[in-house]
Amino acid sequence: MKNSKDKSGLFINLLSVVVFILFAFQQKQKITVYLIGDSTMADKEVIAYPETGWGMPFHYFFDSTVTVDNRAQNGRSTRTFIEEGRWQPVVNNLHEGDYVFIQFGHNDEVPTKKSYTTPADFTANLEKFVNESRSKKAIPVLITPVARRKFDANGKIEETHAEYTQLVKDVAKKLNVPLIDLDKESQELVQQFGAADSKYLYNYLDPGENPHYPDGHKDDTHFSELGARKMAEIVLHDIVKLNLGLASHIRVVHQQEKK
Amino acid sequence: MTKAKLKYGLFTCLPVGMVCLLPLLSFVLPLKKQVTIWMIGDSTMCQYDSAKFPLTGWGMPFAEYFDSSVTIENEAKGGRCTRTFIAENRWQPIIDNLKEGDYVFIQFGHNDEAKNYPDRYTTPEDYRKNLIKFITESKDKNAIPVLITPVSRMKFDVAGNAVETHAVYSKIVREVANEYKVPLIDLDQMSIQLFQKFGSKNATLLFMQLDPGENPDYPLGIYDNTHFNTYGARHIAELVLQGIKKDNLELQDRIIEKKKKN
Repeated sequence: MKNSKDKSGLFINLLSVVVFILFAFQQKQKITVYLIGDSTMADKEVIAYPETGWGMPFHYFFDSTVTVDNRAQNGRSTRTFIEEGRWQPVVNNLHEGDYVFIQFGHNDEVPTKKSYTTPADFTANLEKFVNESRSKKAIPVLITPVARRKFDANGKIEETHAEYTQLVKDVAKKLNVPLIDLDKESQELVQQFGAADSKYLYNYLDPGENPHYPDGHKDDTHFSELGARKMAEIVLHDIVKLNLGLASHIRVVHQQEKK
Repeated sequence: MTKAKLKYGLFTCLPVGMVCLLPLLSFVLPLKKQVTIWMIGDSTMCQYDSAKFPLTGWGMPFAEYFDSSVTIENEAKGGRCTRTFIAENRWQPIIDNLKEGDYVFIQFGHNDEAKNYPDRYTTPEDYRKNLIKFITESKDKNAIPVLITPVSRMKFDVAGNAVETHAVYSKIVREVANEYKVPLIDLDQMSIQLFQKFGSKNATLLFMQLDPGENPDYPLGIYDNTHFNTYGARHIAELVLQGIKKDNLELQDRIIEKKKKN
């Protein structure tokens, strides 16, 4: 009697393992998350360390089914990214179920920069990214440009991307694209740190502190390792909040409670 | 052109030409001898798998600041004291591979001093002996040992002063360095000053301190006053790089320094 019980138990166990494996394979299709954007997102050359784009820590949070392919480049706007032939290879490589995370604005919005893109062209370029991603059955995600560190005299953070952030939101609404309002959420984070302490989030270095920046450095746009990781965490939380399929590919860690 | 003139021309041109070529060659050929920095120590120095991110040993960012003439071998291991590092046969293979001009960066103490962990604890006497062993055996191979006091834990008193957390064991490192004429990087003191500069509230930004739910790798959160995150590890690596310069080690010429702006 005991023996047959054991046998049926074994069978149920085996069955559940098989079902689990089938389920796991079906669920966990290999996907690529393409990041397209500017310097605030880009991978950095070692000589630029500790400047860190938020796409760098973003790599670490997914399970083995996800490849993060960070195509973001310093200094690029939507227009120059396309003109330099950086978008077409992404489209060519896109597979069904891949993601395209789109964060531009810093270089589009400055009229004195060579990368300047008019609001109308910015909108058209975002729509191009969205539509061409969808034509390959990939999932575009629009991200408003991450905040700069700029405070008014009362210690309140100031909006620095107002016009172009709104354009991103408009495209997201019009084409029904998942939106991560990183501009707003990063402003909240920077405000929480406050006018003085928020410099820890950005690439601030004293003279003589770091061999890569012997004169020191004060940068209110580009992040330190800390700031980049915090921004990546915001994006990650929004992936969960938006209920994107990608959320199921975030690494699950069973952390042990400290004794 | 006469033969004599030609000869004269050759004799002057050749050396002049060679002298002119030298700076060019120095770019093409690595004139610097290749050296390896062997790093021995504990969890505050070691490499971590990306699954533990943002947990970072200071040896990780440290490796990003040297030119191609330097190889970093980070042999530090979590939970190890001088005693177990030797007993587990982690030291002998390094000695076997040491070459003339190599460096050995030695940073222990966190586990040696932990009396509550008998499997880690090393008495002050044995700690001293083990440091001396690392030094003399390195020197026997014409390598350059560098002693590093254990990087501080984060501890502030009620007045907000960063306080010493390794008093006994750091003192031993300083004494041994002095006695054996070994370059010393007093990372314990330097890191205390760093924490002080950040202050008691902001120094937490350097450590593995994550709120529950903030980071998927640590869903329950973590409040660790010993181990560094990416940001903290880089700051500690910067202190060690500064120590290399302060000690005027030959190694400083191999640190990649971006040109100062005029």
